[in-house]
Amino acid sequence: MIFKATIKKMVSIKKSVFIMTLVLVLSSCQSLKTAIFDQYSYQQAISIKVESLNLMSDADQSFSVYEVEVQDLLLELQKMIEYEKNKPDNEVSYAMWKVLANKEKNLLAGFFKRWKDGGKLSETFTNEAKLQVAEALDLIIKYEAQKNKTNETNILNFLGTN
Amino acid sequence: MDIDALIKLLKDELVSVLGESYSDYKKETKEDVESFLTLSKVKLERWTGLLQSGELTPDDYEWLLKSQKDLLVLNALYQAGVSKLRLGHLKNKIIKTIVNTVITVVI
Repeated sequence: MIFKATIKKMVSIKKSVFIMTLVLVLSSCQSLKTAIFDQYSYQQAISIKVESLNLMSDADQSFSVYEVEVQDLLLELQKMIEYEKNKPDNEVSYAMWKVLANKEKNLLAGFFKRWKDGGKLSETFTNEAKLQVAEALDLIIKYEAQKNKTNETNILNFLGTN
Repeated sequence: MDIDALIKLLKDELVSVLGESYSDYKKETKEDVESFLTLSKVKLERWTGLLQSGELTPDDYEWLLKSQKDLLVLNALYQAGVSKLRLGHLKNKIIKTIVNTVITVVI
């Protein structure tokens, strides 16, 4: 009788240890969670890259001719930022898009600001700026492509939030 | 123009200027400056040549230099994100191993 009770107690302790281990491991995963690969984000980033570089090529002409197109593209950029902002565990992508869309910085939105202020830009400068913007968008695209594509992360995210 | 001499001059200037503001982080500042200049060397060389030939204005040159600094920020974000992803993968493996081991022992 005493022997049976001891075995029952040991099993109970083992189960408690198991549950405690799981809780500890799962709670420590919170900071390492990253949003999973998103086909929409990936496609939008490629689309924005192609549209941006095409539009930048016209910067040797008067800004007023392309103002509407620039505004449309900047709007697309703002939509993308809102989309990335509201995705859970997506701080890095969100921060990268914000740098690109910041008019006070010298990447995509900064280029359009300079074009607007200057009216026209030289072909040499535009070509160099295009390389910079392409590199920036490539980093965003490459990062999205590296995100997890398997269900393992979905399961981990689910376990971590429950 | 000797681009290596220019890089050295820029490095000394940047470390000196940044060192005054971030004296507590002098080592880190120097490393940041060096990594920025190493990544930027080829571009700096090309832009300096275009500036000398008059194809770029000083304002163009300054804009491009600042864009390189912004790219460095993006690159740092990218590296941080990739490290986090790698650690996440590692953690997934650790969890699997722990769960499998504990289940085998307990159940």
